Amino acid sequence: MLKYVSRRVLLLIPVLIGVAFIVFTLLYLTPGDPARMVLGEQAPQEAVDELREEMGLNDPFFVQFGRYVYKATIKHDLGRSYITKRPVTQELLNVFPTTLKLASLSMVIAVIIGIPFGIISAIKQYSVFDSVVMVFALIGISMPVFWLGLLLILFFAVKLGWLPSSGFYSFKHMILPALTLGAQSIAIITRMTRSSMLEVIRQDYIRTVRAKGQKERLVILRHALGNALIPVITIAGIQFGILLGGAVLTEVIFSVPGVGRLMVEAIKMRDYPIVQGGVLYIAIAFSVVNLLVDLLYAYVDPRIRAQYR
Amino acid sequence: MFKKNYKLLAMFLTIMLLVAGLSGCGQSSNEAATAEVKDSLVVATTYDAKSLDPHATNDVASSNVMQQIYENLVTLDENNQVIPQLAEKFEKLDDKTYKFYLRKGVKFHNGEELKASDVKFTFERALAKGGSIKHIVGDIDPNGFEIVDDYTIIIRTKVPSTAFLPSLIHVGGGSILNEKAVKEAGDDYGMNPVGTGPFKFVSWAKGDKIVLKRNEDYYGEKPKFSELVIRAIPEATNRTIELESGGVDIAYSITPNDVSRVEENPDLKLLRKIDNSTTYLGFNCEKAPFDDERVRQAISYALDTESIVKSVFRGVGGVAIGPVAPNVNYYNANLGKPDYDVEKAKKLLAEAGYKDGFKTVLWTNDKKERIDMATIIQNQLKQIGIEVEIQVLEWSAYLEGLKQKQQDMFIVGWTCQTPDPDMALYGPFHSSMKGNNNFTFFGDEKVDELIEKGRLLEDSKERQEVYYEIQKLIREKSPWVFLNNGEQVVGVRKNVKGFTPSPFGYHKLYNVYFEDQQ
Repeated sequence: MLKYVSRRVLLLIPVLIGVAFIVFTLLYLTPGDPARMVLGEQAPQEAVDELREEMGLNDPFFVQFGRYVYKATIKHDLGRSYITKRPVTQELLNVFPTTLKLASLSMVIAVIIGIPFGIISAIKQYSVFDSVVMVFALIGISMPVFWLGLLLILFFAVKLGWLPSSGFYSFKHMILPALTLGAQSIAIITRMTRSSMLEVIRQDYIRTVRAKGQKERLVILRHALGNALIPVITIAGIQFGILLGGAVLTEVIFSVPGVGRLMVEAIKMRDYPIVQGGVLYIAIAFSVVNLLVDLLYAYVDPRIRAQYR
Repeated sequence: MFKKNYKLLAMFLTIMLLVAGLSGCGQSSNEAATAEVKDSLVVATTYDAKSLDPHATNDVASSNVMQQIYENLVTLDENNQVIPQLAEKFEKLDDKTYKFYLRKGVKFHNGEELKASDVKFTFERALAKGGSIKHIVGDIDPNGFEIVDDYTIIIRTKVPSTAFLPSLIHVGGGSILNEKAVKEAGDDYGMNPVGTGPFKFVSWAKGDKIVLKRNEDYYGEKPKFSELVIRAIPEATNRTIELESGGVDIAYSITPNDVSRVEENPDLKLLRKIDNSTTYLGFNCEKAPFDDERVRQAISYALDTESIVKSVFRGVGGVAIGPVAPNVNYYNANLGKPDYDVEKAKKLLAEAGYKDGFKTVLWTNDKKERIDMATIIQNQLKQIGIEVEIQVLEWSAYLEGLKQKQQDMFIVGWTCQTPDPDMALYGPFHSSMKGNNNFTFFGDEKVDELIEKGRLLEDSKERQEVYYEIQKLIREKSPWVFLNNGEQVVGVRKNVKGFTPSPFGYHKLYNVYFEDQQ
């Protein structure tokens, strides 16, 4: 197991360098001048040229990239934001807790709602309940996030006045963004649970258990659920990775100062160090979540665990 | 199997609930506090500040915050006249020499006393580092500082310029910094600003809010409330909703969509002020067919700007009539609204040799109002045979293209950042600024001459005539078709008093008070 984990962690290095290279290249090719963005549109050209030189933007591509990788790996320095002049790491750490809270809450909502609904849907396949849940799941998957967000704001903040519509200060502030963000995950997890459950309850061993006279409730919870959950864990993990990567639209609609919004603003302002650092962070978050999911997987499924030994 | 999974799931959920739940604790206390005694003013702005170092940026969002923290040598009274602020008085010794007598006993937020050396340090730093404000302070002679004593300083300009004194009111270009504070903070100064103003910096949650508190040592009249919170809420609808629900006391940039909602709500007031920004349709004057004055004039006649502005902005802002905005000194109101005359346009076009019109490209960035204007312009120009293709460009690619002279026609804005008309004219119209801020590549000897003359003249009847003449000439030569002047539309709660919107787009908040605080 240890060997497996360390191999996975080592694999991160080429992945991160690859990600850094791609982002660096894309930003290098993007039109627009960071120096101009820092100084504003009315600044004279000489001032912009001077700043470009100072920022090292006139150096050839590979010199710039090499310098970045050298600093990032040897000196653990991702640079400073062009705009705020603060270290990139600090800027990311400032917004990370917010995104973590938002993503976790969304995930909790998704799991609490998605798994039971999926199970019931599967047991009562083709019932009215099943149809209704599946319709809602379809809506959940296909509804644009910003639209759902605005609907929720209109209903809960404007009409009823129960919840605040923006900011991220107390638990009350988190409910609407978490619901908005979680909607898609709820739908995906519900569908996944349902289909996986359907597959499992048709297996021979379930029939055997039933034949032995086991109570239906226990057949489902004790014998079917465990196996049905394995693919759900994978999906949930991927979803969580996506949520951690910054839920851009949700964060903008609700003025939540998280990773997603930081990135959007950084891209708009050509704040390259923040964009690069942010993408690296997302890559790391994704890889770590995936690794944890795989470990959890092994823990749940003895067949997989056996392979890692 | 079941037991283990069940436990696992339970554990997973508990951890997540803890993470989510813990975050809710301990932060709701200030909401409860504000409900009782209104001692905190909350303002919603459209964007978060970039930096609070006046020399590092020149954007409205940052200026909005810096305006509360910093003070300048001079400021403006309500009639756009320059009056003393940190300088007790000032004298103009000759064309290029100004003497400032500093107010004594003024303390910076870090406890340091304001000295002439701070003033010298500030402007030297602005000249060396302040790329974003070079167009404001560029006239100052870097070797022209002379400290007479701790409270008296002489500043010289490179060339005589009447626009110099008004330029010192600019938030970025004129704010006085403390030498010690800047040196101590180094690169972090932008996040740790120190000024002499009525509010001190407390904290900044990036992308969220900036908190300031009253400067108890302030020499002037102290603000009536002790805490100022400036929140960034980019979603326009959300700003209005927060204002309606009382989450904020003042909300900037109410969109045309929401204007009536605020007006009709008895708990709210809408305050408006035409600002110093002008949106225009520009031509590349060095490229055929726009190098012909008659073509530009024809397009100007063919556009019904009044209806464009009405339908796009629905009553917000005004029709621009010239290059100088209404709240800038020497605004020439005599120019009158632009004429809309399609027949005359056709005639001019025929004279220029384009009887059947031509094909051209119109650039805009992806601002909704500008795209709407472009669409209407496209339609109206069809009447005189000009076929327009609209291209929407991303902002920095757009600026890059403009500088490299790749444009035919384009829509963009210009904001006069001081009350002096020189700022409105020199950058976008003087031939030496081609490709810099003069994106139309317009150059005219007579206009150049008058602009140069205007900046030398003392404020007087003669100066007024020069600026009136320039505005008239530019209307005639039509490098721009003037579209609209922006408007500051601010929503406030009914109990908020003393707020006056500023035409510069950033507003003073320290005079504001709540009704019951009278």
